[in-house]
Amino acid sequence: MTSGSLLRLDGLTKRYPGTTALDGLSVDLPRGRIGLVGANGAGKTTTFRLLLGLAHPTEGHIEVCGIDVARDPIGVRSRLGYMPEHDCLPLDQTAADVVATFGELSGLPARAARQRASDILDLVGLDEARFRPIGEFSTGMRQRAKLAQAIVSDPELVLLDEPTSGLDPAGRDDMLALVSRLGSFGISVLMATHLLDDVQKVCDYVVMIDAGRLVVAGTTASLLERTGTVTVDVGPRGPELVAPLGAINLRAVATEGVVEVEISNDDELDLLTDCIARLELPLYRLSSRVTSLDEVFLHRTEELP
Amino acid sequence: MSPVQAGRAEAIAAEARGGAVYDRGYRPYDGPRGRRGAATFALYKASMRRALGIRRSWRQKVAPFALLGIVTIPAIVNVGIGYVTRDRFLSQRIQIISYREYVGVSAALLLFVALVSPDVLCPDRRQHVLPLMFARPITGFDYVVAKLGAIATILFAFSFLPQVVLFVGNMLVSDSALNYFTGHLWVLWKVPAAVALLAIYYTVIGIAISSLTDRRIVAGASIIGLFLVTSISSAIFVGDFEFRGGSAAGLINVLRLPLYLRDLIFLTHISPRSPLGGVNNGGLLAVVTYVVVLAVGVTVLLRRYRWVER
Repeated sequence: MTSGSLLRLDGLTKRYPGTTALDGLSVDLPRGRIGLVGANGAGKTTTFRLLLGLAHPTEGHIEVCGIDVARDPIGVRSRLGYMPEHDCLPLDQTAADVVATFGELSGLPARAARQRASDILDLVGLDEARFRPIGEFSTGMRQRAKLAQAIVSDPELVLLDEPTSGLDPAGRDDMLALVSRLGSFGISVLMATHLLDDVQKVCDYVVMIDAGRLVVAGTTASLLERTGTVTVDVGPRGPELVAPLGAINLRAVATEGVVEVEISNDDELDLLTDCIARLELPLYRLSSRVTSLDEVFLHRTEELP
Repeated sequence: MSPVQAGRAEAIAAEARGGAVYDRGYRPYDGPRGRRGAATFALYKASMRRALGIRRSWRQKVAPFALLGIVTIPAIVNVGIGYVTRDRFLSQRIQIISYREYVGVSAALLLFVALVSPDVLCPDRRQHVLPLMFARPITGFDYVVAKLGAIATILFAFSFLPQVVLFVGNMLVSDSALNYFTGHLWVLWKVPAAVALLAIYYTVIGIAISSLTDRRIVAGASIIGLFLVTSISSAIFVGDFEFRGGSAAGLINVLRLPLYLRDLIFLTHISPRSPLGGVNNGGLLAVVTYVVVLAVGVTVLLRRYRWVER
């Protein structure tokens, strides 16, 4: 290995006739669960194709697990798992067959591939369905089978393209729980999605791109910074609090059953609690509001030139 | 108590409580890993299994093995007649088919090619499996090699096994098995060589045509159609070759082309009783046409599976 990072993109640009899919993307990503976030057409799938060595960058340089993709695409693909967004499994074969075959295609010996296929299908909750043709599977089961084929070879990094696409809320939670567990197996995850909620739930690092350009990259915790706004829940009498707070120079807005108050220091927080006590309002909740990734994305995208 | 003993004790206790669900967890893999060669071989095996209907429903197994049975019938009949007439003088014994002619019977496997090549190739494209394949340590070239290899291997086996039945059967019903064997040593290289040329040729055509569409029915019909159209066109242009001699137009018949190469192997010249009989340098023309057809087929395949964008 030439570096300790999981992924290193350096000035990555991919141009097609008439369009620029990626525009000078540079980012150095650690091992773990990474969310690649962007709207449709932002360049997520192009990034995956470049990482897999299935497309050559117009400019720039990519290292995956310390391997230069341009020099050794086969070596890179040996270490990766890939779960595409669309249906991609042979419908007339059983899940056990498909996953074992993809294990072998990733370089595992036949016996090990069969054994691991059985274990992984068990892990993703398809143990009882493993001898059924994939054509008979529901959308959720197909997504699990796709995840199973991606991790059967025990890759260092697995690329997940919209893994919760088409799933109902319960199926989505199950899939996110599985993705979340991959980190504990020593498998790093790069999850491309436009659902920021999904990223916020499972990823510890976020890369946001828009129109092929990097918007922001950082740990999820660092992006979800405190806003300086405190949310106060005093029940249905919340609007009664707004005017008295205004009188002591605290900006407050009643919204969706709570009151949001801008606080800049501890003294102002004391003024707020005194005011609630003076008005004899019941205090159910007082919490510091944190930005959502949606807000970060919208805010940072607006800042782009 | 060791962890294993503790685990066992827990399992026994759980069973006593009426069963338990075990999370076997995830086990990392630290065994050997192959690269391109291993992946290509894996795809080759998977394609062979698919073509033969192995690990698929019984309906998928019917066609390949029925065809194997059909092309073996002449060998069994020939050996049976040889057995019945074994007490006659050598000149009175009846042989319904020679090794050379039997290679021609294998042309019936064209039906197999039209059935199986699309089945091995088209679903990969139609069901979007190709992106998954090429996300593995495999290239477009490896993919083509694996698919061609799988179908060619089966075609070779299906053409060669009946010949083995014929050879072993003839040997056993002859007056002296040893004399028959030593007297027919030429069979041991001529038959495999002719059968290999036939298998490679039909495979390349079948796979190349199948690569042009993602619909099996279209691919199968196109393969049969190509052979029918070229056979009929050739027959029209050549006319009655048995009386008037052959013509270079005989080369148009792509179905028959490998049989000219068979003649070159068995007879060292083109049979005068063939559509190419009597044509100057007919053998050379047949070899060149054969090579050109293969080259075109392989070029089409490599272009269709050049998966990496430039």
